[in-house]
Amino acid sequence: MRIEKHPIIDDYGKGRLVCFSYNGDEAMGYEGEPVAAALKAMGVDTHRYTVKRHEPRGIFCAIGRCTDCVMIVDGVPNVRTCMTPLAEGMAVETQDGLRKAGEAHEAL
Amino acid sequence: MKRYEMIVIGAGPAGLSAAIEAAQSGLEVVVFDENEWPGGQLFKQIHKFFGSREHQARTRGVKIGQNLLEAARGIGVKVVLGATVLGIYKNKEIAVRLEGEVRNCKADAIVIATGASENMMTFDGWTLPGVMGAGAAQTLMNLHGVRPGKKILMVGSGNVGLVVSFQLKQAGCDVVAVVDAAARIGGYGVHAAKLARTGVPFYTSHTVVKAVGAEKVEGAVIAEVGADFTPIPGTEMPLDIDTVCIAVGLSPMSQLADNAGAELVYDPAKGGYVAALTDEGETSVKGLFCAGDVAGIEEASSAMIQGKIAAAAAARDLGYITAADFETKAFGYKESLAKIRAGMFAPGNKGRTDIVQTDEGYPLSESLLARGFLSDAEAAAFPAAGIGGGGGGPRPVIECTQNIPCDPCQDVCPKGCILVGDNITALPQIAGEKACSGCALCVGACSGQAIFLVNETYEDGYGTVGLPYEFVPLPQKGDKGRALGRDGGELCGAEVVEVRAGAAMDKTPMVVMKVPVSEIARARFFRPESEGGI
Amino acid sequence: MAVMVRVKNDAPFAAQPDDDMVVCRCEEVTKGEIRKALHDGVCTFGEVKRFLRCGMGLCQGQTCQRLVLGIISRELGLPVSGLGHITGRMPVRPVIMEELGKSTEESKEA
Repeated sequence: MRIEKHPIIDDYGKGRLVCFSYNGDEAMGYEGEPVAAALKAMGVDTHRYTVKRHEPRGIFCAIGRCTDCVMIVDGVPNVRTCMTPLAEGMAVETQDGLRKAGEAHEAL
Repeated sequence: MKRYEMIVIGAGPAGLSAAIEAAQSGLEVVVFDENEWPGGQLFKQIHKFFGSREHQARTRGVKIGQNLLEAARGIGVKVVLGATVLGIYKNKEIAVRLEGEVRNCKADAIVIATGASENMMTFDGWTLPGVMGAGAAQTLMNLHGVRPGKKILMVGSGNVGLVVSFQLKQAGCDVVAVVDAAARIGGYGVHAAKLARTGVPFYTSHTVVKAVGAEKVEGAVIAEVGADFTPIPGTEMPLDIDTVCIAVGLSPMSQLADNAGAELVYDPAKGGYVAALTDEGETSVKGLFCAGDVAGIEEASSAMIQGKIAAAAAARDLGYITAADFETKAFGYKESLAKIRAGMFAPGNKGRTDIVQTDEGYPLSESLLARGFLSDAEAAAFPAAGIGGGGGGPRPVIECTQNIPCDPCQDVCPKGCILVGDNITALPQIAGEKACSGCALCVGACSGQAIFLVNETYEDGYGTVGLPYEFVPLPQKGDKGRALGRDGGELCGAEVVEVRAGAAMDKTPMVVMKVPVSEIARARFFRPESEGGI
Repeated sequence: MAVMVRVKNDAPFAAQPDDDMVVCRCEEVTKGEIRKALHDGVCTFGEVKRFLRCGMGLCQGQTCQRLVLGIISRELGLPVSGLGHITGRMPVRPVIMEELGKSTEESKEA
């Protein structure tokens, strides 16, 4: 999904390629780009499942306003992945309601 | 508590312009922006801007953003990124989240330049991953180099929908359709036309009724709408797409102004609830200003001017410039603003559907409004768009048929053969048959990509059409392909005989294709033989 | 500010085919729930918000405010201009409690 050649943009100013983990699997992305962009480039669409209806959600506004793209990043839930720069070794996990997928929910 | 003379919230066009203006007058300014990347939405605006030279017309938004940032830094403005303003208290005290804690600081003047958020509409499946704002798609592809999807349905044909659709094509996506519930395309005709000639179909009086898919978008259904904008049963049409982009307008982000105690008013022409403002951009709270989209939805050019006016007023109020200095500055800024707010797409004309002719009295192209392209007969009726019976050699054909504020064509022509006049919303006219030297600067300068260089005496029976071509791969001399009409339909075979891609064209190369003379009034795009795309 | 007049839709609540449509994405409030509340007597954005939580989620109503106002307007036959809006309150953006707790008056340079 990455754009290799663009008629107007010569350089996206990407940092170095780094490893991070996505739901425990090894993944690659460019340092400093939003986590959401790295995931989109990998073909990941679903960032979280909602609390009540357990429906999938993904990137919606991409500028930190809608907060639909939140995930668990380095153990912290509700992190807006479109605003969070990717760092080496980051652990990114699909959020299920307010928790990690598979983790027991407390009454909400 | 740290005290600043001015705090600007938002490092977009309005905020940066305000900061520069204030710093020039001697104020100590800090700009807070919640993003890790400055520039607001400017850096994803990779198209050339409209307006006049004073509005930086024919400069791409991204370049304007770079210029603003450099100017801001050069004059000592502190731009703090990753700084989320959480609230504004009484006495212009600000709470800002920075480096993992909330800090409080205070300002003598505050400029809120927080921009807008995208409007949304509900339909079956609108919460599925793959349905996103058009701005989101633009952010992904233009800032981060990632395609939002492969096959796109664009909902909304205002300038955002049209510009983003074109940029999706530039990024290599397939724009399957542009739909709009209104009977008329909402944005500039030139933006629609440059999409239509690549083969993108427009469905006016249509809406999206459903995004299909379980985990993500795997298709969509559109349908025609009746006069009440509800879908007409039986008109449903499935589309093979994987992404739906929503471009149905923007809403000002007025929360901080409200939080600061400023009076809000509901103004549909401005996009919803906005702070009540003086003509200097000051809210009902003394020393608290709004500039840019947060003051009412417009575009970046007017946002920049509004930022300057607000900052100049603040500089006057704080004693940095005299009232007379302010009047001089403000007069110029307001004149500049009036110039860009003119024409049939002016903010005051938002939502109007009763404009049927140009200021000059030419009937508007119905085909352009409904389908995104001029019909051949309509094109011929406009002053600079007709082929006429000109003699030999290249000359510009300008398919600019609506009153939009723009004059780079006049500005760049070294021979003075394109006339717009002082009123920049006027339709361009060709002055003098023989003046054109074929330099192609107008083709590259036209922000609407509406200028073609036509030569009907290229070879016996053949003429050439030079057209703006902002796609990759760039066709090369000798390439064979098909000439497409304004509607994107195939007309005839075509061969590229020249490509003009020098620095003066600023990445809008001109591809010159040879076509039979009978087609030069219709052929407006080139599709390479080898490419299925574009 | 205009004086608010309470308006209620006294017609019995009649289900509509798209009542299950999520309107507030954050708090997952549906169109049907909002319409039902309007028939039960709430009549401003603020009341809908307190009653159903729409606009109280992470995005603080940035996505749904306009949609909810449209539903109220249609359901009660009132112009949007009289329905009020979400009150901007600190924090207007999501912030974690720990960071709020660290809030320093005497600050480092912000």
